[in-house]
Amino acid sequence: MTTAALPKRIIKETERLMTEPVPGISAVPHDDNLRYFDVEIHGPSGSPYEGGVFKLELFLTDDYPMVPPKIRFLTKIYHPNVDKLGRICLDVLKNNWSPALQIRTILLSIQALLGAPNPDDPLAADVAKSWKEDENKAIATAKEWTKNYATP
Amino acid sequence: MSFAGSEEPPAKKRRFFADSDDSPAKNDAAPEFLQTRSPLAVKQSQNGSNPSSANGPTNAPRPQPTSTSADTVTFADEAFEAFIGEKVDPEALSTIRSHCGNNLERAVNMYFDGTWKNFRKRPTPISNSPMFPSRPSQPQSAASNGAHVPSLPPSLSRSMPETRYIGAFGVEGWATRSGATLKYGDAVKIDRQKIQPKPSAARSKNKIDVSAAPPRMSPAEARRVDVIVRFTDAGGSEIGRLAKDAANWISSLMDQSVCNFEGSCVYAPERIRTNDTVFIQLWCFLKRSIFQGNRIQLSSNNRSTGLFEEKETSEERDLRLRQVALVRLFQEINLAPTRANAAAAKDSSQGLLSAAEMDEKKSKDASKSSNREARGSSPPSDDAEEGEELEQDQLDSLYRKAQSFDFNTPEAEPADTFAMDLRPYQKQSLHWMLAKEKDQKNEAREASMHPLWEEYSWPVKDVDDKDLPLVENQDSFYVNPYSGEMSLDFPVQEQHCLGGILADEMGLGKTIQMLSLIHSHKSEIATQKSDASINSVNGLPRLPSNSHGIVSAPKTTLVVAPMSLLAQWQSEAENASKDGTLKSIIYYGNDKIGDLQTLCCEANLSSAPDVIITSYGVVLSEFSQMTARKGSKDQHTGLFSLNFFRIILDEGHTIKNRQSKTAKACYELSAEHRWVLTGTPIVNRLEDLFSLVRFLRVEPWNNFSFWRTFITVPFESKDFMRALDVVQTVLEPLVMRRTKDMKTPDGQFLVPLPPKSVEVVDVELSEVERDVYDHIFRRARSTFSANIDKGTVMKAYTTIFAQILRLRQSCCHPILVRNKDIVADEEVAGAEADAAAGLSDDMDLQSLIEQFTATTGDEKDANAFGAHVLEQIRDEAVNECPICSEEPMIDQTVTGCWHSACKKCLLDYIKRSTDRHEVARCFNCREPLNTRGLFEVVRHDDDSSVKISLRRLGVNESSSKVVSLMNHLRALRKEHPRMKSVVFSQFTSFMSLIEPALAKANMHFVRLDGSITQKARAAVLKEFSESDKFTIFLISLRAGGVGLNLTQAKRVFMMDPWWSFAVEAQAIDRVHRMGQDDEVKVYRFITKDSVEERMLRVQDRKKFIATSLGMMSDEEKRLQKIEDIKELLS
Repeated sequence: MTTAALPKRIIKETERLMTEPVPGISAVPHDDNLRYFDVEIHGPSGSPYEGGVFKLELFLTDDYPMVPPKIRFLTKIYHPNVDKLGRICLDVLKNNWSPALQIRTILLSIQALLGAPNPDDPLAADVAKSWKEDENKAIATAKEWTKNYATP
Repeated sequence: MSFAGSEEPPAKKRRFFADSDDSPAKNDAAPEFLQTRSPLAVKQSQNGSNPSSANGPTNAPRPQPTSTSADTVTFADEAFEAFIGEKVDPEALSTIRSHCGNNLERAVNMYFDGTWKNFRKRPTPISNSPMFPSRPSQPQSAASNGAHVPSLPPSLSRSMPETRYIGAFGVEGWATRSGATLKYGDAVKIDRQKIQPKPSAARSKNKIDVSAAPPRMSPAEARRVDVIVRFTDAGGSEIGRLAKDAANWISSLMDQSVCNFEGSCVYAPERIRTNDTVFIQLWCFLKRSIFQGNRIQLSSNNRSTGLFEEKETSEERDLRLRQVALVRLFQEINLAPTRANAAAAKDSSQGLLSAAEMDEKKSKDASKSSNREARGSSPPSDDAEEGEELEQDQLDSLYRKAQSFDFNTPEAEPADTFAMDLRPYQKQSLHWMLAKEKDQKNEAREASMHPLWEEYSWPVKDVDDKDLPLVENQDSFYVNPYSGEMSLDFPVQEQHCLGGILADEMGLGKTIQMLSLIHSHKSEIATQKSDASINSVNGLPRLPSNSHGIVSAPKTTLVVAPMSLLAQWQSEAENASKDGTLKSIIYYGNDKIGDLQTLCCEANLSSAPDVIITSYGVVLSEFSQMTARKGSKDQHTGLFSLNFFRIILDEGHTIKNRQSKTAKACYELSAEHRWVLTGTPIVNRLEDLFSLVRFLRVEPWNNFSFWRTFITVPFESKDFMRALDVVQTVLEPLVMRRTKDMKTPDGQFLVPLPPKSVEVVDVELSEVERDVYDHIFRRARSTFSANIDKGTVMKAYTTIFAQILRLRQSCCHPILVRNKDIVADEEVAGAEADAAAGLSDDMDLQSLIEQFTATTGDEKDANAFGAHVLEQIRDEAVNECPICSEEPMIDQTVTGCWHSACKKCLLDYIKRSTDRHEVARCFNCREPLNTRGLFEVVRHDDDSSVKISLRRLGVNESSSKVVSLMNHLRALRKEHPRMKSVVFSQFTSFMSLIEPALAKANMHFVRLDGSITQKARAAVLKEFSESDKFTIFLISLRAGGVGLNLTQAKRVFMMDPWWSFAVEAQAIDRVHRMGQDDEVKVYRFITKDSVEERMLRVQDRKKFIATSLGMMSDEEKRLQKIEDIKELLS
């Protein structure tokens, strides 16, 4: 936990996440560490993750927003761009990060990623492989995982 | 018993002792040709001897130069009478013959100037002085004869004789040549002759030429003032000299024509050899001339000496020598005052002598002479620096003593015409001031003796117990042992000072209090006339009846203030008075009224101004004009032609140096009531106070010698408590002082001031600045340590300080240490190069858009696009920063792709990318970015419509300190868009570098420094006080540290620390003073890890060390200074 005063940016972002929540997304900071967020993302409709609620953790380092937030899935998910540990392969979380991006935009990007898996740029190689070889089966697996792990 | 070189036995002269009153002077003046031909005659008349008045019994031989005339004619009675042109009384002839040393010319001179009569009655020297117990009194040695009648009744003359016996004492002498014979009782002449190379023709045959071969004169000695006193036999040939100790003061008495001496031998060896000791009894006769016209001469000298910047003026030096010599003389002859000032008498004699010693010591130190004998030879000593500086703690305890303000002092209500409300403590001081001014009316003053003078009785019997001639109504004479002045008239104590020093701390309203006094106490004439004169002829302007000399100005108060405060005084005077009740004029520069005398004189009372406000400069220049006319007040119609009702010196410490011309000029102003206003009656020396007291004419303290004796000397000899006690007794009746932190008995501050906070702002140097700083720092340190090794630190003090100054400047702005011209040239050249490349650093949006248009070639679209961009950028400014969410953005900065963010965020972001060796891309559109392609948005908020322009970033960036200041100011403007601030710096060149930064940020500012004229000053002050927008006042610490009232400002920015925080505090108090109704925030910009930080430490330490008086000796102080430098360069 950091002792430094919370930057205005984080305070504002947090306030806005509370007052103007994004449909299907929630992010709540921990009481004892305001840089640490519990995140829930609803699987987008029409995707294999529909109906699932995915928990993520999000941490804003001291260098935020100069560096992207650290974020990973806590809920098991079958997705070519998310590995077993929940790490996410997303350009805006890496090279394409810009300090103008925010928690909200990042979570929207992740939600979008759920709706549009990109097996050409995989993080979980086996998932990507099966996705490419037999997309229907992969989608079925994803749906099953969603039912098993992400359904409240 | 023959005298070497003399034809006449000494016994001869005693033949003419018997009567004293015969043969009055027959001649009135020496013939012209003789006077001009003979240097001797001229010399004697200069000595103040007036032949026509020489009609009393006089006793002293004059100092007779032994070798002045080139063509000596031997004396013969016939030739003498032929010269004189008349028959001479045989007795007189005989006297002259015996004293002329066989020199006809001298004889003639003696006859005409009357000095021969001096020899006619001369008491026989007898050796009953206590100094020579081995020689019991043996009246009338072999040489004496019946002509001397001891029982002769004392003669009585009606006026003071030319000289009058005062006493006798013994001295030692030493022979300068062998072979002379001198016996007990032989007359000895005392002779004072300056050593000057003389033409050998001056030698006379039967005299030994002493001047041609001055014995054992070291070159060092020759440079010093000559104090040699010779004694010769009756014929005038040198036998020897008086011992140095006695000669020191006897020479001053003789040189200044205070008295004559004649001597007789008490003991001499049978055959005198060089360097033998001879004992002599000296008879001392005070000259009449010293009782006359002393003061007149002094005061006229006073003027002329002011023109030279001598440390101790020669006049002061003469006076001091004379004063010391007189005290010594009275001690030697055992003459005690019959009446003296009780307070002074306590330890006066001791004090006076130790004062003298002090001076001698100084002279010795100054001349660095190894010769102990030269102790008293007194080259002009360093008296201008006399008075050691007071340590802060000594000053504090002094002030504490002077601040025993009694809160039960009665209050006085100001007159109806006064338009302001006074606080209780101000009413108390009004009461006090009224009481001081009306002092004279309370008590009928009886003539009491002036406290400085002492009364002495003329001795009625000489040292041989013989009666002396008496003078009618002259039993006593009076001596001022502090100045060396003497008088036959009873010295009456002059009036008490009808004024004082109002020394309230800054911000307690000294000006207002004085104005209330001006309203509440007017002279009787003024009040009467103003009632009666309305319809009478008196109301018509007319010329003063006496247009020469000083004319009374019974209605007018003269205010002398520093130039910068003239306008403030006038406006406060107006504000404090009900309409039409007070007329004030500024007497300065081109506005000066030609004829003050006519304006203010009694006859023109109805139109005379109540207050004339002028500057010290005007006083000085009128004084100089007057002295140029040799002190004549004729035709002078200015300040010195009037006797004002009241004079007020504002910021009175301006005249703290009593030798400054300004101080002398102020002393000469005349008025009924004299007041000094100052927050610091003592700046750093006790002598500072002396000058104020002198201006106030407070007896006896306005006598510098008295002051020295009771204050300076004890202080310098480490008797601090005594000195400060005395100062306190001086101050107590004179000074009213309250401080801001004083509390009334019920615990309230005198003036509730809003709170003040002082915050140190750390400034971090940029890399480039740090390089410059380090370079200078290393150089300074190596100079210092080199000097430490050589032990020459104190000598190289100035060099080291110059380097520390550079160091301090480089903390402010590296450019300050470089040659200004080069810098300016570089800047111009750089700007030209940019212009040539089509890249102006300061371009407005329109020109940017024009460039854009040029590349696209589509004007219509470009305009639409331009308008859009303009709107977007302007609107984005109020948005939050996309990076840090500040709202609005701090220093909005625009990328080449027109995206805005805070300047700091954007630069941070770009730096992160470049640190990772990546190309920075726009945070918004991912266009590649570089710092050169960023533009700062400059808002022109002055107009109602918001206009913006863009300025390329990173060019002409000022120093870190300026940037830090600008950040504070910008934040302040955002928070308080109309607040006014003051920025102090001690470097005017630094102010010149802050100016462009302010201009860039579009902040309104005014500037005040020492170079500004009075008119411009007033304009600047007015502009600042009347401005209704965000305004910054740039003031140089020195020009604006005192006097100004800047309560309109609420923020103070101190750009650089001064050696003592007191100076900064005083500047801060310009803002945080009475009239301030808001909290004041002070920011001190201090460069981190630099000499400035260490200066703060030195400042702090100075506050705490040496809390008890006198803990530090000079040596320790010196070490302390070295320590200070060490700390600065550590």
